[in-house]
Amino acid sequence: MKKIWVIIKREYLALVKTKGFILGTFLVPLLILLLAFLPAIFMSVGTEGERKIAVIDFTGRLLAPLQSHLSEIQAENPDQAPYRIQEMQADSSNIESRKAGLNSEILSGTLDAFLILPADIFENNQFELYAKNISNFQFNETLANRLTRVVSGIRLREIGLDPELVQRMNRSVRPKTYKVDERGAKEESGEITFGISYIMVFMIYMALIFYGIFVMRGVIEDKNSRMAEILLSSVRPHQLMAGKILGIGATGMTQLGIWGLTILLVSTYGLIMIRQFVPAVQEMPIPTISVWVILGFVVFFLIGFFLYSTIYAALGSMGNSESEMQNLQWPALSFIIIAFMLMFAVIKNPDGPMAVALSMFPFFSPILMFLRISLHAVPFYQVLLCIALCLVTIAGMVWISGRIYRVGILMYGKRPSLPELLKWIRYS
Amino acid sequence: MDILKIEAVNKTFGDVQAVRDLSLKVGKGRIFGFIGPNGAGKTTTIRMVMQILLPDSGKIEIFGKPPEPGLTNRIGYLPEERGLYKKMKVEDQVAFLGEIKGLSHAASVAEAKKWLERVELAEWAGKKIEELSKGMQQKIQFVGAVLHQPELLILDEPFSGLDPVNTNLLKDILLGLKSSGATVIFSTHQMDQVEKLCDAICLIDHGRNLLEGSLPEVKARFGKGRVHLRYEGRADFLQNRSLVAEFNDYGKFVEIRPAAKVAPQDILQAAAREVTVTHFEIAEPSMNEIFIQVVQSKGGQA
Repeated sequence: MKKIWVIIKREYLALVKTKGFILGTFLVPLLILLLAFLPAIFMSVGTEGERKIAVIDFTGRLLAPLQSHLSEIQAENPDQAPYRIQEMQADSSNIESRKAGLNSEILSGTLDAFLILPADIFENNQFELYAKNISNFQFNETLANRLTRVVSGIRLREIGLDPELVQRMNRSVRPKTYKVDERGAKEESGEITFGISYIMVFMIYMALIFYGIFVMRGVIEDKNSRMAEILLSSVRPHQLMAGKILGIGATGMTQLGIWGLTILLVSTYGLIMIRQFVPAVQEMPIPTISVWVILGFVVFFLIGFFLYSTIYAALGSMGNSESEMQNLQWPALSFIIIAFMLMFAVIKNPDGPMAVALSMFPFFSPILMFLRISLHAVPFYQVLLCIALCLVTIAGMVWISGRIYRVGILMYGKRPSLPELLKWIRYS
Repeated sequence: MDILKIEAVNKTFGDVQAVRDLSLKVGKGRIFGFIGPNGAGKTTTIRMVMQILLPDSGKIEIFGKPPEPGLTNRIGYLPEERGLYKKMKVEDQVAFLGEIKGLSHAASVAEAKKWLERVELAEWAGKKIEELSKGMQQKIQFVGAVLHQPELLILDEPFSGLDPVNTNLLKDILLGLKSSGATVIFSTHQMDQVEKLCDAICLIDHGRNLLEGSLPEVKARFGKGRVHLRYEGRADFLQNRSLVAEFNDYGKFVEIRPAAKVAPQDILQAAAREVTVTHFEIAEPSMNEIFIQVVQSKGGQA
């Protein structure tokens, strides 16, 4: 046991001190922070300045209500870019010269746009909008919405109805989402729940690939640096393999721990902080991750790590140099990738028979069973059954991989064929 | 007491029988030369002693006990293929090698410091292995094999790649370990080292024990009466079959086994007629000669 500990310690320290690990560990949280804060920062800083809009009103009664409507909206949303309306007088005799003048103002940049509100706007439902950039969908839409409110207000008043009242009658209804699981229903936003599931599944997916490759590289390094023989003259092969996997696993847990902590801090304190500065984020609920999902994440990451790292260790022991890693890792990598791709099939119907069957397959469980747990679509007995299946599979893989590793670690030269591999496994 | 006893051990890899019915004994406190041509089965035998490989059949006893994992802590091993973690610091690497032999962390660090001074690498302790020259790495490797004070040391080509100064340094350490009671098994192709260092030898080829015994015993078995000549000139007399049964010519030095009933003086006379003899000696056969003779005559039978 003590010797396994010595190997673990060496692997851990050797890996933690590498530049790649340090960069990865601290750059990724930085990236998470940036991704989390950037939209908020853009929202507060990135808005355009005020827009100057000239209006030629042929109806003679739209301009004033439009202006008051705009300033009302402005008062409610102080961080939105204000529209400054500038009234232009014109009649059919001088309209063309007015237009020419405004055109040149737009081209010179002193004006953003100008509107011509025709006298028949109440019948034809059209106004003219002149601007340098007419594909700014949001701008066009906002202007149209504002004008619609004003125009329909006037129409309603003409037939004796109170526009405020009509607007209240017409309010649309929206769903408030509640998530139902064994412990009852809880208010939660569908998009955010899915987003968090996706991020966590993706983290497991990447972690399995990355730490698996770390294990593989570690094994190949032992062979390549000819350390294997020295090590095996002091420790048993299974001790060496266990030490290697546990040491690299501990490194992985350290890294994931730091990342997890960052995400936790960002999603709680970070969001609270953003709310202080950016009122637009007010409505966004603080996402809550249930203890069960966190527990599931840890358990299924560990299961996946041990399952795949033993395979990666055996694969590594068949190779001679790092350049062979690309080819060697395929058997393990393809299972992980297939599991990840099946994720989208499982999401569609997380408790359907196909999802249950796929998530029970031990090589897919770390990704698919965790996905189902994070979507709260798994009865507890299925989780237990799945964990049991995985543990049995891990035991089997440790046995097979240990036997391949024991022979492979001292073999140099040609990679073994499948019959040779079977012979290695049968060696006493 | 025999520190190591190997009895009728066989080991086969696929179609190749690497070790064949091999038996040998190594006495305590001796320096034991384990020699044989390339591919003779030395490394396989050593690996079985180190419990890296299991014999197919036969028995191995170390310190009078059957192999068990704990026993390897009492053995120091320098494999033929040297291995160090290139990115590790020298002091960490040495301490690690001590720890996997069962030393505590503190003891390993202390021993590492002591031994690095002993091999004159103390000022390199904080450097990475990859920054060291090959010879220095070789010394680190050697330190890794001895710092846990093993009772049995197995060294595969310990002097290869070392300059004469460092060879001397290691030799003194080896003799020091021997006088403090350790047993050393060393494998080499340098017969002059065997000659100078070993108390006993075992020569194997094709996995078989061909010759075993203390050095004087072995030499006695091959008789005396070898002629060693140091000379200048063209030594055509060596081709004279009635005079010279066998010879090993280095150009300026030649080892001669005289033909039957030829006295060493006859050889000297014949030589003096053709070359300038600067040195003449009647000697016992060298290990080099014994090696070649044994391997060439018996190797073909396998």
